[in-house]
Amino acid sequence: MPASMQEVKRRIVSTKKTGQITGAMQMVSTAKLNQIQKHAANYQIYSSKIRSVITHLAKSHLLDSSAVSGEVGKSQDGKVNTLSMIKQRPVKKTGIVVITSDRGLVGSYNSNVIKSTMDLIKNGNHNTEDTVIIAIGGTGADFFSKRGYNIVYEYRGVSDVPTFKEIRPIVETIVSMYDNEAYDQLVVCYSHFVNTLTSVFRAEQMLPISAENMGTDDLTEQDENDYQIEYETEPSQDAILEVILPQYAESLVYGAILDAKTSEHACSSTAMKSATDNAKDVISSLELQFNRARQSAITTEITEITGAQAALD
Amino acid sequence: MDDKSLLTVNVVTPDGVVYDNTTDLAVCKTTLGEVGIMPNRVPLLASLAIDEVRVKTGEDSFDEIAVSGGFIEFSNNVLSVVASSAERKENIDASRAERARARAEKRIATAKETHNVDDLRRAEVSLRRAMNRLNISKH
Repeated sequence: MPASMQEVKRRIVSTKKTGQITGAMQMVSTAKLNQIQKHAANYQIYSSKIRSVITHLAKSHLLDSSAVSGEVGKSQDGKVNTLSMIKQRPVKKTGIVVITSDRGLVGSYNSNVIKSTMDLIKNGNHNTEDTVIIAIGGTGADFFSKRGYNIVYEYRGVSDVPTFKEIRPIVETIVSMYDNEAYDQLVVCYSHFVNTLTSVFRAEQMLPISAENMGTDDLTEQDENDYQIEYETEPSQDAILEVILPQYAESLVYGAILDAKTSEHACSSTAMKSATDNAKDVISSLELQFNRARQSAITTEITEITGAQAALD
Repeated sequence: MDDKSLLTVNVVTPDGVVYDNTTDLAVCKTTLGEVGIMPNRVPLLASLAIDEVRVKTGEDSFDEIAVSGGFIEFSNNVLSVVASSAERKENIDASRAERARARAEKRIATAKETHNVDDLRRAEVSLRRAMNRLNISKH
């Protein structure tokens, strides 16, 4: 059948072209993944430095005591401002940062994050009233605004390898909104990069900063010893905490964005790889179909010729 | 104490290590004033002003690094400068800083008009950062 042969041929050509595109996209994503992983390693040095200092200050029981005093004595208005980041406020509003991608073609990346975030909202008995969404990435922003959530901040167009300079305005806004009591706790939901094939959804409470989310548990013995050092501080420990805590919060949020972006590239690369593989499968089955059609066309033709010959004889 | 002891200076930002060198004197401006840090000093934690960190490299020469706040931590002869952004003098983009300065000034003006205290404070900080970069790149 010549008509269907042409049809099959056209489909082979178009699938080949699609496969070429997805193959190129896979390579681009892999390159970006490598880039961002290098960047993340750099960031790790910074965050571990901050963490070690914070942990040290926390060890000198400063965090606990001021957290307690914040809970008990709300009358100390002077204290409220200085160390608002570690003070537990009664939670009236929860801020949820949802980090998704701006574009599609990233497999189940976005739907995983959004689904798990919805679960989190449901399990925590939050509703549209007491939850505010901070959306980083267009997909999440569209999803939650369609469902009537209050989106207090939205950011689109995070670059492929985000630098701190670029993310800084977002991070500063998030932290200052917490200071202004737009929400009383901040949860960051994102997809954590495990390896190129796996990403895990992660929801971390970042503000207020508490001993649990400081990661004091996974300290090694060696680290423990490091924290025994007695520091001379200038100015007071409180004043230093005031500088370090916002910086720490900023670095946490930045770390989450970096992690999510890494995971996005990995997902995109995996999705494109499977699309390319799929295209190859489709092409080979189409080629088989095409060859069969061609063969049967030839057979028919031969039968016709021999038939006609026999009739003539 | 041998007089050859040195201290290591690390400047770390979220975008990586900006500076890494050994020296016998580093001068930082903390929020309370300047401190000179020499080897074998008592461990120190201090918050930095938006200013420069100077690291002695020779008889009369210093490496200058612009930092925008952050803190320093000194222990075991390692001085870590942890800042959200830092640049070596040679790497400062003066025209960019100039643009940032103009932008910050404009923001201050609008914030003053609208009496937005938060915005004003933030704009002032970015103005200080820009001025700091400009100052360091000029001398």
